[in-house]
Amino acid sequence: MPGILKYLCGIDSPRVLVFGITGRQGRSRSRLMKGFGTEIVAGCTPGKGGQEVDGVPVYNTAAEAVSAHRSINSAVFFVPAGAIAKAAFDAMDAGISFLVLTADGVATQDSIKIKEKAHETGAMCLGPNTVGMLDTDGYLFGLIGGKASWAKKNYLPGKVGVISRSGGLSQLLAAFHCRHNLPGPRSDGSFGPLWGEDYPGLSAVLCVGGDPVPGITLLDAARAFEADPRTEVMAIYAETGTTQENDLARAISNGEIKKPVVVFLGGKFTEAGVAQSHAGAMIRNKSETYQAKKEALEKAGAIVVDRPDSVFAAIAEFLK
Amino acid sequence: MPALPEYRTRVLLENHGVPLVPAVFHDVIPDVLPEPVVFLKAQIPGATSRAGRGLVRRASTPNEISNGLKELLAEENCQGVLAAEAVDIKKEYYAACLLYFGDEENLPGGVLLFSPEGGTGIEERTGSLLKIHFSLLNPPSALAIASELPDIPRVNELADFLRRMINTFIGYKLTVLETNPIAVLSDGSHVAVDCRAEFEKHGVSRKNAHLFKVSANALDDSTPLEIMVDAINTADPAGTGFFRASRQKAPEGTVAVATNLCGGGGKMLWEMTTGGRDDIFSLNESDTSGGLSGFKSYRILRVIMSQPEAQVLILTGSGMAFQNQFHLASAVWKALRESATPLPCLLRFGGTDQEKAMELMNTVAENLPVKVKTFSPEIFPNAMVEHLSEIATDQRIKQEFTPEAGELAFEVETPPARFVYHPEKNPDGNEPLCIKECPTGFLQWSNGRITPNPEAKCIGCLVCETVSLIQGNGELTIELDLPGEVL
Repeated sequence: MPGILKYLCGIDSPRVLVFGITGRQGRSRSRLMKGFGTEIVAGCTPGKGGQEVDGVPVYNTAAEAVSAHRSINSAVFFVPAGAIAKAAFDAMDAGISFLVLTADGVATQDSIKIKEKAHETGAMCLGPNTVGMLDTDGYLFGLIGGKASWAKKNYLPGKVGVISRSGGLSQLLAAFHCRHNLPGPRSDGSFGPLWGEDYPGLSAVLCVGGDPVPGITLLDAARAFEADPRTEVMAIYAETGTTQENDLARAISNGEIKKPVVVFLGGKFTEAGVAQSHAGAMIRNKSETYQAKKEALEKAGAIVVDRPDSVFAAIAEFLK
Repeated sequence: MPALPEYRTRVLLENHGVPLVPAVFHDVIPDVLPEPVVFLKAQIPGATSRAGRGLVRRASTPNEISNGLKELLAEENCQGVLAAEAVDIKKEYYAACLLYFGDEENLPGGVLLFSPEGGTGIEERTGSLLKIHFSLLNPPSALAIASELPDIPRVNELADFLRRMINTFIGYKLTVLETNPIAVLSDGSHVAVDCRAEFEKHGVSRKNAHLFKVSANALDDSTPLEIMVDAINTADPAGTGFFRASRQKAPEGTVAVATNLCGGGGKMLWEMTTGGRDDIFSLNESDTSGGLSGFKSYRILRVIMSQPEAQVLILTGSGMAFQNQFHLASAVWKALRESATPLPCLLRFGGTDQEKAMELMNTVAENLPVKVKTFSPEIFPNAMVEHLSEIATDQRIKQEFTPEAGELAFEVETPPARFVYHPEKNPDGNEPLCIKECPTGFLQWSNGRITPNPEAKCIGCLVCETVSLIQGNGELTIELDLPGEVL
């Protein structure tokens, strides 16, 4: 069965170009991605074309890499924030249609330019400031998962689609749905195992990142899970700032998103106008507050909880 | 956002050909005073409505200039005084460039705000502002801007002025650029009389850093510990290291908690747990995530533990960090060993090697000078906080740490560290255990010495030192400098 990228950007089998593969992080993360099953075709580091990293050929530009390997359809970037826009443009100009931008600290103007360029070329960018994505079909992009052996043990195929604006919570919401006998607060007020040996499992997890101008939004991701036949219910970490939750609420209201949605909404105590470590969580107007988003989502029919471990009981209810 | 004062913003505009009122910047009273008539304008980052606050003065005589300079230079946070020529203004416009973040229907981009009624009091006339959205990738031509402007004299020249302003905004990746007023002079030309800009620190390129240099008394109110974290990030840029100290004192009767949280989500979890409680006070916000090295984890921990009011440290990720948790635990242990005033800790490990992390902390716990309690990721912060008061301390323990002398084996530039070999702890001269435990093969044993493998890279994980101290005989230690004084 195809993974979530089929429904996000029409990619059946991702074949990946790794930007920054010759660097410390690029090299080690590429190993972990491969260990999980991701098909890494080539690497790209300007000035290091002709080298190899763990048997993967390195090219100076995306165009050179795509010209030598026509199957490349996606890219992941382990390059510094200041270099990300140029590298992303290089990939999009070469026709690559799915990009994962892990860098934190990307200038907002660069994020906007990347989004404009993606709109022009039809590409989809996950991030910036994302931990990446993982599909239990057998591929992952970015930093998610840790060691491949750990990822294989903790992210198991199933029915829950996870979307998150936080890297850590992406992994938590995804992995905890794959644990036998997960303890947690139940809807009747008691505490104990929320399910038995038959955990709900995961279809895929997409971290849209914590920046104010994300490429792929919560709604883009929800649309993909809506179309993905493996996914029966969505678990989402949302927070203050940006219009993403408001846009998602509208899509639930108008019937575009029909599958059940459980949202752990952060930011109950976030003050307006105060900078957050997720730059995108800063509240710029009334519609971006916790209260406004909670009301919009609940009115639309989503279940909104205000502690992470309440997500699992709510998901279990839907899967009964 | 950090703000640039007028005299620095002028340089940016000038570099893109925006015409400006002639002006000279003085940070001391000059030997030769400017010729009257001038407007003396205090240069205070972020200051608005300066005229109403007496920070802009018209000076018509040498005496007024001298006194005005003296008084304005003494203003709080004043970086200097701009002495601008008085010009004959026939008409005033207002213009600003901002970022537009977009939504489901509209792409993000820039917005040009324009009003044909500029000058003081623009805040009350926001309803009259014309909004022109523009692309940052393909900024508009003067002709395109002119077609959006109202019917005003010499509209093409004004549009060219605005085009240059947009180019300045994009060229320096600003978040705000404002000129108010744009003056129409008696010959019909346009000049910027006053201007200001806001920017993101991470949007400033190295090439332009000198133009954005924010002085210690600027709007940027970073504390010494925050400045240290900035320096740590500069030396070891991989991964996120965010730290912001609270500007408030811990209220009486609260537990003052130093926090080392992982990810923006981890920070949000903590905030959701403690936001409604008046018995817990968070001394700082933090986010250490994105695959930072163990070296960087250690350095930031030392900064976090240096907050003198802290009674306890809470370290928690969002539950399933991709940072190897054994590396993180090694950093915690090192910080507790080497801090002059270690803090009792509540530690939650979740992610790769979480069991090894907990085992390490349990192994070393009894030799630590402070209490340490570890939690698995299934225990959320809302349960962890119930243990705060049982281990929080009113009296910080003091200890002395002096790095053990040894032979400098080699230094690593990024992440920065000195590897020190202690041959007296390895009298047989056999290969120490730490060599084969290095996860990247960076450490080699060569001719009875520890050497770096040029084909491999150090990831700053601290595994070698931890293994050396726990399973070996302490043959290898790592010295990690800090960019300032910590407790």
